[in-house]
Amino acid sequence: MRYRCVECGNEWEDRGWLSTCSRCGQKVTGVSSFFRGPEHPEKLIQVLLSLQREKGWLSPETLKEVSRKLGVPLSRIYQVATFYKAFSLVPRGRHLLRVCMGTACQIRGSPAILERLRQLLGVEPGQVTADGKFTLETVNCLGCCAMGPVMMVDDQYFGRLKLPQLEKILGSYG
Amino acid sequence: MGEGMRERLRGPEELERWRERLRRERDPSALLFTVNVRSACGLAAGSEEVAKRLEEEVEGRGLAGRIVRTGCNGFCEKEPVVTVYPDETFYVGVRSEDVPELVEGVEKGKVVDRLLYQDPVTGQRIRKASDLPFYRHQQKLLLSLNGRIDPTRIEDYIAEGGYRALAKALFELTPEQVLEEVKRSGLRGRGGGGFPTGRKWETTRKAPGEPKYVIVNCDEGDPGAFMDRSLMEGNPHSVLEGLIIGAYAIGSHQGFIYVREEYPLAVENIGIAIEQARECGLLGEDILGSGFDFEVEVHRGAGAFVSGESSALMTAIEGRVGEPRPKYIHTAVKGIHDKPSCLNNVETWANVPLIILNGAEWFRKIGTEGSPGTKIFSLVGKVNNTGLVEVPMGITLRKIIFEIGGGIKGGKRFKAVQTGGPSGGVIPEQYLDTPVDFDELTKLGSMMGSGGMIVMDEDTCMVDVARFFIHFLLEESCGKCIPCREGLRVLDRILTDLCLGKGKEEDLKTIEEICEAMAEASLCALGTTAVNPVLTTMRYFGEEYEAHLKGRCPAKVCKALTAYFINPDKCQGCLVCFKNCPTGAIQGEREMVHVIEQEKCIKCGICYAVCPFGAVEKLSPPVAPPATYGIKAKKEVRK
Repeated sequence: MRYRCVECGNEWEDRGWLSTCSRCGQKVTGVSSFFRGPEHPEKLIQVLLSLQREKGWLSPETLKEVSRKLGVPLSRIYQVATFYKAFSLVPRGRHLLRVCMGTACQIRGSPAILERLRQLLGVEPGQVTADGKFTLETVNCLGCCAMGPVMMVDDQYFGRLKLPQLEKILGSYG
Repeated sequence: MGEGMRERLRGPEELERWRERLRRERDPSALLFTVNVRSACGLAAGSEEVAKRLEEEVEGRGLAGRIVRTGCNGFCEKEPVVTVYPDETFYVGVRSEDVPELVEGVEKGKVVDRLLYQDPVTGQRIRKASDLPFYRHQQKLLLSLNGRIDPTRIEDYIAEGGYRALAKALFELTPEQVLEEVKRSGLRGRGGGGFPTGRKWETTRKAPGEPKYVIVNCDEGDPGAFMDRSLMEGNPHSVLEGLIIGAYAIGSHQGFIYVREEYPLAVENIGIAIEQARECGLLGEDILGSGFDFEVEVHRGAGAFVSGESSALMTAIEGRVGEPRPKYIHTAVKGIHDKPSCLNNVETWANVPLIILNGAEWFRKIGTEGSPGTKIFSLVGKVNNTGLVEVPMGITLRKIIFEIGGGIKGGKRFKAVQTGGPSGGVIPEQYLDTPVDFDELTKLGSMMGSGGMIVMDEDTCMVDVARFFIHFLLEESCGKCIPCREGLRVLDRILTDLCLGKGKEEDLKTIEEICEAMAEASLCALGTTAVNPVLTTMRYFGEEYEAHLKGRCPAKVCKALTAYFINPDKCQGCLVCFKNCPTGAIQGEREMVHVIEQEKCIKCGICYAVCPFGAVEKLSPPVAPPATYGIKAKKEVRK
C-alpha cells in the first residue's frame, strides 16, 4: 500500500507506523493499513495495536476478524491480547487518563495524585467512569521523569502536577 | 517547508557535495531560535505553544530568523528552553507570554535577564549554556546534536556530519575491519549488562544460518530512565546510522527497531528518519551505491516490561507473547526465528558512528580502562537539576549529583541514590565518591542498568522503595518460571505488611531466603536481579526495616504508620486546608486553629500540600494529637 501526502505530494510505502509525512510533517489520518498490506501472522501485535488505537478497544468481533485474516488461532490472539498492557478487551471511556507511577514520580508524590483521581472519578485504575468520560489507568513510566508527577490525558502531557490542579484539568475535558 | 525533493545519493562524493551545499546554505551568523519541542517532556512543559508564538512574533516583526524544533537538550528541569543563535543566549522556563519580550530583545540586541538561568548559589544570571554548572562538567558526544537539530529533517543531521561514518565503513573498511574497530574500542552494551559489543557482533557474524538480524532495543521500561527515548526522539538518525554500520559488519540485511508503545513520539521520529534515509539511498537496496542492502522495520512494543529482555523481545517481534527463554544458547546464535540475531540498546548503537569516524583509540581515551566512553544518565528524583546528563565513565556519584545536579531539592539531606532501575540497588552516602562504571556499581550490589539515577532525600522511605520495585516487578513478571512468579508474590506480601505495620520478626529472614533462591533459580534477569533493591536497602538501611517492625516509619511515608496533625502554633486559621480536604475531616473557622478528625482522615496529604504556612505536620508513630479545639490562631508577624 502506498501513501501520498495531500500537502506536498510525497509518496511512501506504508509499513504501518508512520502517521505523518516524512517530508512535510503533515498528519495522515486513518492509517489502519495492515489489512490492506501484506498479511503475515508475525504482524499480529502490530495489527492489534493499530486496531486498538483506531477503535479504542478490541471487541470479540474484531479479534475474530483478525484471526480469520491473519490465519492465527483465536486462542493465541487472546493469549497475546491479555498479556500486553496496551490492549483493552473492554470498551474504554472517551478519554484515557494515564497516571505515571514510575520511581521518579513515586517519590515526587504520584500516589497522592492517583488517590485524588480515584476520589474525583469514583473509579479504580482500569475502570471507566459512570458517565463514560474517562478511563483511569496507571503506567509504569512515561519517560518524563524530570517533570514528575506526570499524567497523560489522551495525547496531552501534564507535568509537575499539584493536587489542587486536578479538578480543573478533568473539568476541561468534555 | 520547501526543502525540495530529496535525491538518491549514489556515492560518498555525492553525500559530501550535498553536505557542503547544506552547510553553505546555513549561514552560521544568521538568526536562529531552537526550541525543544520534539521531546515528550518538552511537550509536557508546553514548548509547542512557545514555538508557535515565536514563529508568529518573528514573522510579525519581519525578522529573518529561523525556528528549529529540536529534541531534548537534557535540562528538563527548566523546560521549555529557547536558545538564540548566533550568540547562543540560553533562555530557560520560557512561557508563551514571554515570547514578545524575548524577540524584542533579540531585535534590539538586548538580553532578557529574567529569563536567563540563575545560579541558585551565587544568584548570578548565566547567559550561555556552556557556562551553566549543569553543562560544564558534561561531555556530550551522543547528545551533542540533540538540542541543535530538527530530528524530522535528515538535512540537519547531514549538515552536522551525519552518515559520514557509514560512508567510511562502506567504502574504506571491510566488514571485518569495522568489527575489529568496535572490538578494539572496548565499547560495552549500554542496556545494563555491559557485555562487550564487539564480541557480541562477532558471535552473530560467525554463527551459522541465514538471514542474520540486527535489533535496536528501545524498550526502556525502567521507571526513571529516559535516555533512549530522548535519543530516539531527538537524534534518530544517529541510532539508524549505527545500526546500518553494525549490519554491514555482521553481514545482516534485515533489522528491527523495537520501541515502547508508551513513546509515540519516538516511534514517529524514527519512522520519519527511516523514510528519509531510504529516500536518500542511505537505506534499502545498494546503499550509497556500495552494493550493500539493508532493510529495517519498526516494531512497536505493547506494554510489557519483560519484553525488554533480549529473548523475550525477540519472541515479541515474532508476534507472540513476550516471554523469555533459557539462554544456554545465546540469542546472538539463535534469536528471531532461531536465526542469529544481534540485539543492542539504543545508546550502544548510537556510539558506533562515533567510533568508526574517530577510531577506537580516540574512544578508549574517554572514560575508564574497563568501561570506555561516556554514559548518559537520567538524573531524577529529589535533585535540583533533573535531566539527562552525559558524562565520561569513571566520574564520581558525588560530582554527578552535587555539581551537575546542583544538590538536593529544598536543602534537604541526601539519603541514597538508586541506580539501574528495578534491577539495581540503592547506594548510600558513604559511597558517593565511588567512580561510576559497570564494575564499580556491581561491587556495591547495584548496577549500571540503562542508566537511571534516582536521587532520594530524607523524605524517602527505603522499605517503601523496596516495596515499590517488588510490586512493579510482580506486575511485570511474565509468570513463566516459579522462583520469579512466586518469589515476587511473597516478597510483595511481606514488604506490604511491613509498610502497614504488620511485619513480624521472622519476615526479614524469609526475605533473605527468598532473595537467595530467586537470584539462583530465575529464568531471566528480571527475576535474578529483582532482589537487588531489597537486599541493598536491607544492607544499608537495616534500621528502617527494624523501625517498621516496631510500627514506625522514620521518613513518614508509609500511610498506615503516620498521622496528619495541624500544629496550633503555626496554624493561621486561613481555611485553605479546610476547603481542600476531600472528606471533610478538617474542622475550622476563620482565625481559629483547625483540627483534623483522625477517624475521617484518609491521609491523602492534600492539606499537607496546600497549607501555605507549613502548619500541617506528619507524625510517626501515629499518636493521638493533642486537643486544640477552640484555640484562636496566633497571627504570624509578617515582615
